[in-house]
Amino acid sequence: MKSSRPSFRSYLPPAESSFPSRAEVNRVCEAALLPGELVVSETSNVRKCIATDTSAHDLSGTLLCTNFKISFITKDVTPFRRGSVELALTTCAFNIPPFLHPVNDERKKRKVLGPNQRLKFKPTELIIYCKDFRIIRFRFDESVPESARKICLVIAHYSQPKDLQLLFGFAYAREKCQNSVNKVNGTDLELDGLQTSLFKAYSDWDREIKRTGASEWRVCSVNEHYATSTSLPEYFVVPSSLADEDLKQLVPSFNGDRIPMWCWHHWTGSSLVRMANIKPGPKLRKHNTRILKAIAQSHPDKSEVFKSDLDKSLPNISEVQAALMRLKQLCINDLFEETDEKWLSLLENTRWLEYIRLFLKHSAELAQWMYSENISVIIHEEEGRDLNCVIASIMQVMLDPHFRTILGFQSLIQKEWVVAGYRFLDRCNHLGDSEKHESPLFLLFLDCVWQLLQQFPAAFEFTETYLTVLYDSLRIPLFGTFLFNSPYQQMQQSQDFATNGNLHCEGKSVELPPVWDWFLQFTAKDLTLFNNPLYIGKSVTCVQNGTIKSFKRAKKNSSSSSIYSVYTMKNGKLSDQHDFFPRRNSLQRPSPDLMQLNESHDRNMERYFRDWYSKPLDLHGIILPHLSSAHTQLWKQCYLRWIPEAQITNGGFISAFHKISILADDIETLQQRVRQYWCDPCLTSFPDSYSHRMYFQAKDFSEVPGTLDCFSSSFPFSPVGNLCRRSILGTPLSKFLLTGAKTWPSTETLANDE
Amino acid sequence: MEPDDFSCLYSPPGSHVEWCKQLIAATISTQLSTTAAPDNVSKDYRVLRDGNKLAQMEEAPLFPGEAIKAIAKDVTYICPFIGAISGTLTVTEYKLYFKSVERDPPFTLDVPLGVVSRIEKIAGIQENSCGLEIVCKDMRNLRFAYKQEEHGKLEIFENLTQYAFPVSKNLPLFAMKYKEKYPVQGWKVYDAVAEYKRQGLPNESWVISKTNSNYELCDTYPSIVVVPTSVKDDDLCKVAAFRTRGRIPVLSWIHPESQATITRCSQPLVGPNDKRCKEDEKYLQTIMDANAQSHKLIIFDARQSSVADASKAKGGGYESESAYSNAELIFLEIHNIHVMRESLRKLKDVVYPVIDEAKWLSNIDSTHWLEYIRILLAGAVRIADKVESAKTSVVVHCSDGWDRTSQLTSLTMLILDSYYRTIKGFEVLIEKEWLSFGHRFAVRVGHGDENHADADRSPIFLQFIDCVWQMTKQFPAAFEFNELFLLTILDHLYSCLFGTFLYNSEQQRMKEEVQTNTVSLWSYINSQLEEFTNPFYVNYENHVLYPVASLRHLELWVNYYVRWNPRMRPQVPIHQSYKELLGIRAELQKKVEELQREVSNMAVSSSSERASPTHSVSPVQTTV
Repeated sequence: MKSSRPSFRSYLPPAESSFPSRAEVNRVCEAALLPGELVVSETSNVRKCIATDTSAHDLSGTLLCTNFKISFITKDVTPFRRGSVELALTTCAFNIPPFLHPVNDERKKRKVLGPNQRLKFKPTELIIYCKDFRIIRFRFDESVPESARKICLVIAHYSQPKDLQLLFGFAYAREKCQNSVNKVNGTDLELDGLQTSLFKAYSDWDREIKRTGASEWRVCSVNEHYATSTSLPEYFVVPSSLADEDLKQLVPSFNGDRIPMWCWHHWTGSSLVRMANIKPGPKLRKHNTRILKAIAQSHPDKSEVFKSDLDKSLPNISEVQAALMRLKQLCINDLFEETDEKWLSLLENTRWLEYIRLFLKHSAELAQWMYSENISVIIHEEEGRDLNCVIASIMQVMLDPHFRTILGFQSLIQKEWVVAGYRFLDRCNHLGDSEKHESPLFLLFLDCVWQLLQQFPAAFEFTETYLTVLYDSLRIPLFGTFLFNSPYQQMQQSQDFATNGNLHCEGKSVELPPVWDWFLQFTAKDLTLFNNPLYIGKSVTCVQNGTIKSFKRAKKNSSSSSIYSVYTMKNGKLSDQHDFFPRRNSLQRPSPDLMQLNESHDRNMERYFRDWYSKPLDLHGIILPHLSSAHTQLWKQCYLRWIPEAQITNGGFISAFHKISILADDIETLQQRVRQYWCDPCLTSFPDSYSHRMYFQAKDFSEVPGTLDCFSSSFPFSPVGNLCRRSILGTPLSKFLLTGAKTWPSTETLANDE
Repeated sequence: MEPDDFSCLYSPPGSHVEWCKQLIAATISTQLSTTAAPDNVSKDYRVLRDGNKLAQMEEAPLFPGEAIKAIAKDVTYICPFIGAISGTLTVTEYKLYFKSVERDPPFTLDVPLGVVSRIEKIAGIQENSCGLEIVCKDMRNLRFAYKQEEHGKLEIFENLTQYAFPVSKNLPLFAMKYKEKYPVQGWKVYDAVAEYKRQGLPNESWVISKTNSNYELCDTYPSIVVVPTSVKDDDLCKVAAFRTRGRIPVLSWIHPESQATITRCSQPLVGPNDKRCKEDEKYLQTIMDANAQSHKLIIFDARQSSVADASKAKGGGYESESAYSNAELIFLEIHNIHVMRESLRKLKDVVYPVIDEAKWLSNIDSTHWLEYIRILLAGAVRIADKVESAKTSVVVHCSDGWDRTSQLTSLTMLILDSYYRTIKGFEVLIEKEWLSFGHRFAVRVGHGDENHADADRSPIFLQFIDCVWQMTKQFPAAFEFNELFLLTILDHLYSCLFGTFLYNSEQQRMKEEVQTNTVSLWSYINSQLEEFTNPFYVNYENHVLYPVASLRHLELWVNYYVRWNPRMRPQVPIHQSYKELLGIRAELQKKVEELQREVSNMAVSSSSERASPTHSVSPVQTTV
């Protein structure tokens, strides 16, 4: 069954407090291995450091390195706090640690270890700096020196594979593929998480067109089997007025073949379209006109199209990368106290929040063109596969409540990122070979969604924990979802792998599991942490006069565009558009471009937003965020969760979440009962077997009085054991309050390493 | 009138109702009562009203005991957010009320005169017209423009200055006239003896003493204090003589298990010649001895050490570790009242009326407001940690022991004792650590005083409430009260509607017979507790809650400091969504009960032996 699947990344307290014996440890360890996972190196008598001034709290155990992860297995229970889990903490998936730092303190040697490097001294200590801001330290004083050296080298080797096919996902897929041959029914796994629409099939797109009511658009198959372009997805949606032959003609005029692709349709008639820039040349104007005309024709009653050049409106990918690097350095800075004094200014200087605000602002403005002015919007950029992904997906989260459900959100990521060819391989730098192309646009997008979630806590089916976990999953090389630059590359690599490995699978290629198969990572209980208890009020059903009536509001009557008519376009700013619309064109009004909008636009925007805020809000309609700096906040769960000093013990949002969760569980129980009565009015006993969707349940809470004690602002993560940090200046508090953080004796700071 | 009724009248429908309620409570008072007794309307006004329909629609609702003093029509309010609005401006003894029916819904501005810090008349550019600039204590300024008319008595400016600064004009504060009746008597909230009994006092080491019953030992202390049992009255007098203004060390809180205590006092009068007082030394030794768990006493001097040295040169000072054996002295490096006043002034510049989006964070940084909040919280955490973890008794003082000391002891008690995190407990905390121990509210706020530049004014209490708000943000389920509760306290700190915060000391309050002449703020609050209850509250009994005193978690309290800016309102307050869920649950519960009845009826009628389902749903939580 699902729940019995191995979970390699549980952050949660283990069910049993007693730890297994040595033999059991081995058994547990073996059980926790995934198909295709092998233990490559193992060192016993390793100490995992908890405090740096004393080894009294260290945990003793075995350090394992597999071709997938590092595991530390211990019999000791952390003395610090109930609810903290050493086993879970030290288990980190590969491809996370960019820095390994073996140290020999007798000889005062230290080295940053990369793959294929030599380690000349015998390490007494290993410090791992993880990409998710964690820092973990192991000591080898009591272990066999040679074995310590070996495990350091092995970790260095396996953490940075040089070839895509050496990533663990392939080994896993091979194993699954080979086993499935012998299996009678081996398809269970792949189907689990996959109610998510992957947008790899014709039917997915067709359904989406119907769902949004985009009747003037059609799915095209010109790129079936990547016949036309290796950059485009196999299926995508185009204006009905463009025939396949037209498309084939147009493809070469766009950078990277990326012709206009439909994203979304608003019920009033406007559509969102994304594309790359048209290559400069004599045909530029002609093609441009043709495209705009076709898109305008797909609008039931409007002849205007709004074009937004994202390259000119937003920071570029390297600026975003630089901002994240500054933010990261600030968050994990050793000098907690010193940076605290000027924290706000330092945070501002990273510009991360400023960029978040810019992306949200731009998305909100474009969204507003679509639903309030009912004008179709084209977003374009040089290559059409970076900023387009961010803006298109944020806009849809704002505009369409479907994308605020878990399945909808996942399908949105498939649609606008995975299938649309966001270069995950390059941007995440999975192979560590080129930092030049690295950029955290996907994190930027998640952060923007988090900002929306902060402002509309009841509008999303998921929680911030879901977003954080999704961000973590970006770097787990087990999943195929975020590994490749394009769907073509995934297909090709998988086929290649199958052919070279002489694998005979169903179909021609091996399938890496999608990240959406959450059961590969978590137990059913853990997964309930994804469910936002505040959301249930929005879909709750209530029985009235014998019929089950849904509270859910019909989409069509939920937004009324007339409210926003105060925002009108002024002719004065609609100039300089002759590039797009030749005058002889039947289109009377040229399209405005945000870049040319002047002050009056800002004033209008302001007025419009003010109106928006003064109206009652429908959480199942459109949500537009506050765009003031005061409302753009740091996503603390994601960036500060591993910092012991920043942890609020017994507090944090979770303490309110917990109460909402219990209430939501109550409501669901009552709903079940009502339904039960309707099915079987004579029912004598009430079965308690249905699944609870909330993490905290009323019955649990009354039984476990200590629940409050494991709450913290990092929940469900725990910074206990993430050490090697300088202590808090001059107070003895760290001993009692801050989970034992103590000075890391090294003189080197992390900032230097970075 | 029910507050809910009111919100229906004045708030736009939908999701912003909750917020509007807060804003209304913030703009105050109309929520309390809106019926005007006809006697209160002055003759001048009645004449005016009868002749003008528009003015009728724009007339001000009045409290019992409140009378209109001036009315001006066609006044323009220059709102920094929505521009100029024309309407009627009314001045009463209590408030400034502006209403315009130009807009839909009508625009109203309802400002208690107590919040006014300064009024300036600006001579008009045009003939007969003039402008008013009103600087408020609650983070806003108001601008009006109007035509000067010849209603001698009804002149706006004169009436405003008269009733905004009654103390300077030898008039009574409006609180003395306010005669609203509440079902709950707020003056009974705090009973010193009961509170000490709750703490387990008296015990063998500590006694509830009445030596100060006539305020002779110390005129800024309460009549009832807790002092060590073994200290004789004579010695107390000597100790009093050695401490600034006789503010001897007295107990604020005692740990229920370890018996470690928090005592508060003013600085010792050591002076430049290192004067000693053996009674004082012995007194502190006694305090230490009362706690068997520790052989140490920690003295927290809230001031910066340099400042403490300076006051030593002027006759004050601090306990030297050589004179006080076993005592450890720690300076908490908190700045003085002038620095805090200046910081808040800068903050007002940053948040009102315009926000510089690009420099929002660095601008806040440059005011140091949050930095001072951090230092204060960090100080309280250190004190609490000594008491809780090291089981050591502590003495807290600054110079006079009524500003920083009150902040620190009350915050520490909030960290240590879950009782103070309830609504009732928090009221007791304010009554005890602030009001009874002589925080000089009248002077620090400047009630009814026109001297806006008075150097004794300082937002010390506001800073404390901000710290409390920071704690509620970090521990959203640990406090019984909500944000509206804190906002309401701050609004009535200035409003002069209630007697609670009017005077400097208990003695003064007795003299003015506050309890008979005025209404307590707690009467108002405790009469409608639901409004002020945090729906997420879970009693963290016996939990010591240490806030993280780091800028990483401290936030600017936008809902207070920037609340006049309509763009800063929260979209959907989470507690509102929670209340909606509570409503859904109640409905479902009703439905289930109905169904259950139906089923059991069916069972009875069919004479079946089946038992009706009795399995009960999880217990109903009563918070709504």
